[in-house]
Parts: sequence; structure tokens; C-alpha cells
Amino acid sequence: MSSSPCSRRSLLKLAAAGGLAATGALTGCSSGPPPGTATWSMWSSSPEELKVWNDFSRYVEKTMHVRSLSSLTPSAGYAPKLDLQLVSGTASLVTALNGWMIPTYAARGSHRALDDLIARDPDFDRDDFYPASQSISSFAGKTYAIGFDVAPAVLYYNKSLLDKAGIDPPSRTEPMTWAAFRELAIELSGPKGQYGFTCAPLMDDLISWIYSAGGNVMNKKQDASALDSPESLDGINFLVDLFVKDRVTPPISNLVTEDALANFLQGNVAFMQNGPWQVLNVRDAKFAWDIVPFPAGPAGSTPRVSGSSFAIPSGVEGDDLDLAWRLLKTLTSTGALDIYARAGRNNPARYSAGSAFEPPPANLGIVQQILAGKVGGGHPYDVTTNWNRVKQLLAQDLPRAFLGEVTVPGVLRGLTPQLDVLMRQHKDAVRQATEDA
Amino acid sequence: MAVEVHTAAPGAPPRPRPPTSPGRWRGSETLAAWLFLLPSLVPFLIFTAGPVVAAGVISLLDWNLFSPPSFVGLHNFARLGPDPTFWSALVNTVYFTFVTVPLTLLVSLALALLLNQGLKRIAVFRSLLLLPYATISVAVAFVWIWLYIPHGGLINSLLGAFGIDGPAWLVSDTWAMPALVAMSVWKSFGFGMVIFLAGLQAIPQQLYEAARVDGASPWRSFRDVTLPLLSPAMFFVVVTSVISSFQVFDQALVMTNGGPGVHTTTLVMYIYQTGFLNYEQGYAAAQSIVLFAFIAVITGMQFLLQRRLVHYDN
Repeated sequence: MSSSPCSRRSLLKLAAAGGLAATGALTGCSSGPPPGTATWSMWSSSPEELKVWNDFSRYVEKTMHVRSLSSLTPSAGYAPKLDLQLVSGTASLVTALNGWMIPTYAARGSHRALDDLIARDPDFDRDDFYPASQSISSFAGKTYAIGFDVAPAVLYYNKSLLDKAGIDPPSRTEPMTWAAFRELAIELSGPKGQYGFTCAPLMDDLISWIYSAGGNVMNKKQDASALDSPESLDGINFLVDLFVKDRVTPPISNLVTEDALANFLQGNVAFMQNGPWQVLNVRDAKFAWDIVPFPAGPAGSTPRVSGSSFAIPSGVEGDDLDLAWRLLKTLTSTGALDIYARAGRNNPARYSAGSAFEPPPANLGIVQQILAGKVGGGHPYDVTTNWNRVKQLLAQDLPRAFLGEVTVPGVLRGLTPQLDVLMRQHKDAVRQATEDA
Repeated sequence: MAVEVHTAAPGAPPRPRPPTSPGRWRGSETLAAWLFLLPSLVPFLIFTAGPVVAAGVISLLDWNLFSPPSFVGLHNFARLGPDPTFWSALVNTVYFTFVTVPLTLLVSLALALLLNQGLKRIAVFRSLLLLPYATISVAVAFVWIWLYIPHGGLINSLLGAFGIDGPAWLVSDTWAMPALVAMSVWKSFGFGMVIFLAGLQAIPQQLYEAARVDGASPWRSFRDVTLPLLSPAMFFVVVTSVISSFQVFDQALVMTNGGPGVHTTTLVMYIYQTGFLNYEQGYAAAQSIVLFAFIAVITGMQFLLQRRLVHYDN
């Protein structure tokens, strides 16, 4: 049998042809979805979430009679990916935004205001959305997004642990006072390895105590830090004391994976501060539990209310804009939010979808009563256009107070000048955005 | 036309042929050379050289990614001076590098010497010791988070057995950076070990025998034979380790997120925060250029020192 040797030249030709073919194939692969496709972006970090969004896709296709293409990304990588898509003009027609990111995106002009679309659409019922969701989705007096979930922080309690200690469960509707809550937390921290309370040593949890004390991160003019105001200091000191002086919380082992939910699910913690979005995960608990309103401080029970929304990138125009608006309405419709709520994901942002969010736990309905202003209260999360930086700054220094390594005034002394600069930048960004509008 | 004539004494070994000048290459050979270069040259130009040039341009702009950029000259570089976080990040990075690299070298060299003692099943040991290096940094970082848990973590439990009350490693101002260093040394010693082992095995045994005949002690053999002949490998490991240590990012992000305070914020982490959390692309690019210059200077100094400290076998 004779072999036919491959010459160097023919090998090179083959390699070059292969390279060209691969380049061509890759170029072909980079083309986007066909026109008329309803593309939308969302974070998704678990199989359960994936199922919900697949159900959303089916609902979109059934309702709109177009192909639905969702771009799902784990939540940690969602924002960087969205940024790159927005910059490169490859973002979906509709993108999900976490509420605290809306001012950041709106001020930078990455997403368009929706007021003109809302005004000329008689079918869109804006009043069906909770006021807190509307507030979270707005910036500089304009609506930049439409909410799909919204919820206040609540207090989870371990019913089994309280029963064992012979303590009656807290009132289902009347928020505990801070003093009563602290007393209970200390009492339930008695036995070794048992703790009265858990939350993350970060601003996202601390802010509920600050609001309930009547304080805020920024002053009313939004041009300076208000963390050193007497009201804010009351809130910060109360929570830090639970960690450092009363020692009713599990010890902090690291600053990255510290997880209130994991602590609570151990079964040896009496109370956990968290949002109702964790209800689905707590349903796996091996003990009896329920939720009650957030404890009432000097300004009442006004925990952080946060939520997420859908928005339309600025670059979407013409027929695409019409499709994007119809898609956004479908994704935030009562029918879609019913799917979301039935999966137990979170509290839907519309009054009309509320009935789908059902027990367990027995007192879950309290979330809607809080949002409707019938029980306790809530405070939409006030954030700045540079909240990433504010959050980063606070995340670097605040935990040191929770660790007892630096006093609260010591932390604030270092933080306040830096926060003041960021607040002034925020004020300028708001002014600029208002002028541009 | 001038003709170059080479002469050689009869019986002398043939002289090596002088390299062919590019001008004498035939067209097809030039084309072939370029074709062979292309697979590495094109990605290098697109993914390395291009971004470096782009970073230089972006460092002169004020750009938040979404709005049109505006030219600000050297303003982003001027901002570095009064930025305390930048200086903290720089000091942290230098501290990390100058502690991690020597420790890694020592551990790598010690293990390479141990493996070079004619151990049986050396390939098995070598593979086992190389495992940390081959494992993904983020996975290793999570394992070390568990090791460092103050109450019930393996390290503090071991210390407790000796009556030592271990600290809360990753949240302590004092211990967070040493904790990162220890993890990084464990993660990276395998690379140096393999290079050193290859270097050790390339040293001719006759040199050790000659040293022994001359009455040299084991320490003297190590100092005057092993170290000089291992110096090229050592130089390579030092240069690559310093460069990678200056770019430390993932372990600090996963284990401490730069905290407590900014005690473990490294330069690359700060660049990431500036560019992708604060949306200040220009300022982030300016920091990148400074880091690039810093690494270039340090590497240049290493190459200068190489002339005096590194012995090549020629």
C-alpha cells in the first residue's frame, strides 16, 4: 500500500483554509436573534429560578404570539454582563434591574424613561402596582422601570425554639418594640450555642434599623451623609450592640460568606431579619417557624422595602420599542406575576397578583398588609446614583464596628467625609439628569 | 559582487552556519513563518497589545461606559496622589508580593530538594504536590475559608489542641493578610517545585562527586554547586511569581472582599471596583497603567540583577 505524503506547503494550505473556515463560522454565530423576537434578560441562580423564568417565557409566547428568548445569568455576574451588553448594543429589549441599581443606570442614560409609553397606553394600570414599587422604579421624577416584585424586611422567628423556652410567639400584627425585642433576644441567647438573633453585618440589613429610628444614609437634600445624625446613630448603635455588647448573634467568621439564612436554618437562632424572598428557602427548615413585622423603633416599624423591576435600554427604538413595551407589560402582568408568586419566589409588585402568594408560613399575608400600609410600615430603599460606591465603602468599614474592632463613632469619623463627597457627586448627577430631561 | 569565503583548519569541527539574513529568505518561507506566527500573534495583538494601548487611551478619558467619553488629559493620574484607597491597595499588594514570593520559593525549593533524594514513586508525590497549583483558585479559596473559621475550623481546632486561642483570621486587621499569604503560598508552591525539580535533575552528578572528593560538606555543595546551577530556574520562578503576585485578585475577592476595612484590598481588586462597580473606566485604566509600569520596573530590575546573580551553563 502506498502512502501519499503531505507536503509542508499543502499542510499550510490546509491549516489556512481551516482557520478561515473557523473564522467564518464564528462570525456567523455572532449574529443576534431574528427581528421580532422578544428578548429579555434576568438573573437566575438555581434550578427553581430557571423553571420560573422558563414558565415566564412560555407565558410570553402564549400571550404575545412571538418567540421569547430569555438571557439568564447567575445573579453575581448579572450586572457586569448587562453593562457589557448595554455598551456593545447587544442588550435585550427588556432587562431586569434590581431596584437599587435603577438610579445608577437611569442617571447614566443606559435606560429610557417610560412615562411617554405609559401615557399613550390606556391599557396599562399603573395604580395596580404598590406605591413602594413605583417609588423604587423611579428616578428624578420619571418612571424608568416597572416592578415585578417588592417586599419589606420582616422578622422570622423559630417557633420551636420559643416554645421550648416557654415564650409566647410575638404578635402577628403588632410590631414588637426594640426594647422588648432586645430583651427576648438576650433571654433566648442563654444556653451555649444558642443565639437570639441573626442578620448580615452590612448596610442592606442595618438600614432597616436606621429607618426605624428615623434616620437615613443621606440627608433630605441628598447632598451629605446623615449616618452621623442622632437618629441614624440610634439605629446603628442598637444593632451593633446586639452583636458586640449583648452578644446575641452567632460570631462572625468571615466577611464574604456570612449568611443569616444559613445561621437561622441551623435551628439554634431565635430571630432572623430577612426579606420574604427567603420564605421558599426557609420552608426546608426542620423546625416550626413564622414571620412577624419588623420591630418598631422610635420612628415605628419602617424596615427597608426593596424590589426588582423590568426596564427598556435607551438604544431600543422604532418597532423594537413597541415590541419591548408589550413585552415589559406582559412580564409584569398579573398573569406573569401569578406564576412568580405561585413558585413562592417573592411578593409580586401588583395588588392584583397578591392572592397567589399563599402560606406557609401562616402569617405570610402580613407582607401584603405592610405594603398596603395596613400594618406597620415600610421605607423604600433610598439609594444614590453611585450606590455601588457607597455600598462598597460601607461594606469595607461597617463590619469592623460589628466585630467590635472599631467603635461606631470611630467608623463614622472615617466614613463621613468620603460619603459626603459621594453624596455631592450624586446630587450633581441628579441635577444633570434633571436638566437633560 | 563580493563573495564571502570561509576557511577552516583541516580536522577542525565544522563551524556553525551563520544565520540566514531575512533578506535572503525566499518569499514562500517568509509566508510560512508568518502563517506559523499568526495563531499566537493575532490573539496577542487583539487580546493583549490592543487592550494595553486602549487602556493608555482610556486613562486620558472620563468615561462611565454609557455616556460619551470626554478627554481629561492626565487628570486621572493626578487623582491617584490623594486617593488613600489606591495607596493602601498598592502597599497591600507590595506586602503580599514581598512576603508570598520568598515563602513560596523556600517551600518549593525545600520540597524539590526532598523529592530529588531518589524517592521511590516520585511521580506520585510530584503529582500530589502539584494538585493545589492545578486546582481552581476560587475553589481553593472556599476550602480555606472553612479552614479559617474561628470556631470549629480546622486551623483553630489544631491550635486549640496546643492551648492556643486562634484569631478570627479573615476578619482581623492583623491576621487577614497573613491568612491570604498562607493560602497563596500553599496554592502556588507546586509550580516552583516542578521547575526546581527539573533544574536539580539537570545538574550533572559529576559536579557533586568532584565537590565530595574535594572535601566539600553537603551545605557547601548546596551553596557552591546547587544554588548557582539552579539560579536560572530560580530567576524564572521569581520573575513569574512576582508578576502573578502583583496581579493577585481572586483569592482576596473570595476570602475577604478586600476587608476588613481595606486591609486586603489589592491593586487589581481596586481597579476592578473602580472600573466595574464605580463605572470610572478612565480612572481604572490610569491605575492599570501604573500597575503595568510598576511590574515593568520591578521585572527590569530583576533582569539587571540577573547579570550578577544568575549563572548560565555556558
